[in-house]
Amino acid sequence: MRRRTALVLLWILTLALPAVSRLGAQEKKEGPPEPKFKVGDMAPDFTLSDQNGNKVTLSSFRGKKNVALAFYIFAFTGG
Amino acid sequence: MQAFQGQLAKLEAADTQVLGISMDSPFSNKAWAEKINVTFPLLSDWGGDTTKEYGLYNQQRKIGRRINYLIDKQGKIAEVQLDSEAIDPTKIVDACERRKLKN
Repeated sequence: MRRRTALVLLWILTLALPAVSRLGAQEKKEGPPEPKFKVGDMAPDFTLSDQNGNKVTLSSFRGKKNVALAFYIFAFTGG
Repeated sequence: MQAFQGQLAKLEAADTQVLGISMDSPFSNKAWAEKINVTFPLLSDWGGDTTKEYGLYNQQRKIGRRINYLIDKQGKIAEVQLDSEAIDPTKIVDACERRKLKN
């Protein structure tokens, strides 16, 4: 009886093991997102509010000024 | 952002508008701008639509990614600085000044 139980447990383990090891692999595949646009591409337009409630549209600067667009992660962290 | 503030005069002299952008609320941005003495616009991408459109949204950690773009007067991307390279915007400042000299 005991030997059969042991064999059943071993069988369950061999079934479970690949699934468990795949969990780790999934974590490793996720990395930082790849930026969609590169040098030479048109920068997608947007309209967003600044800290004073003014709406700012990226395309409004066309023909007038360059834009240095700086994405940061969150206020009060790093720089 | 402080690094950009430090180079703001040079950038403005080279016809460049600086815009910060993150998924913070305008309220957080206002408090932070006052704390670190930033005078240029900090744009609120609340909800992350623009961050996602630019391919910068990390689905797993629910945060964006640090990146600087120099966008020229035609609306095209001229320079990119990613992650730690984005901390010092000197490369972008230099590119703006070179463009100014060309024109």
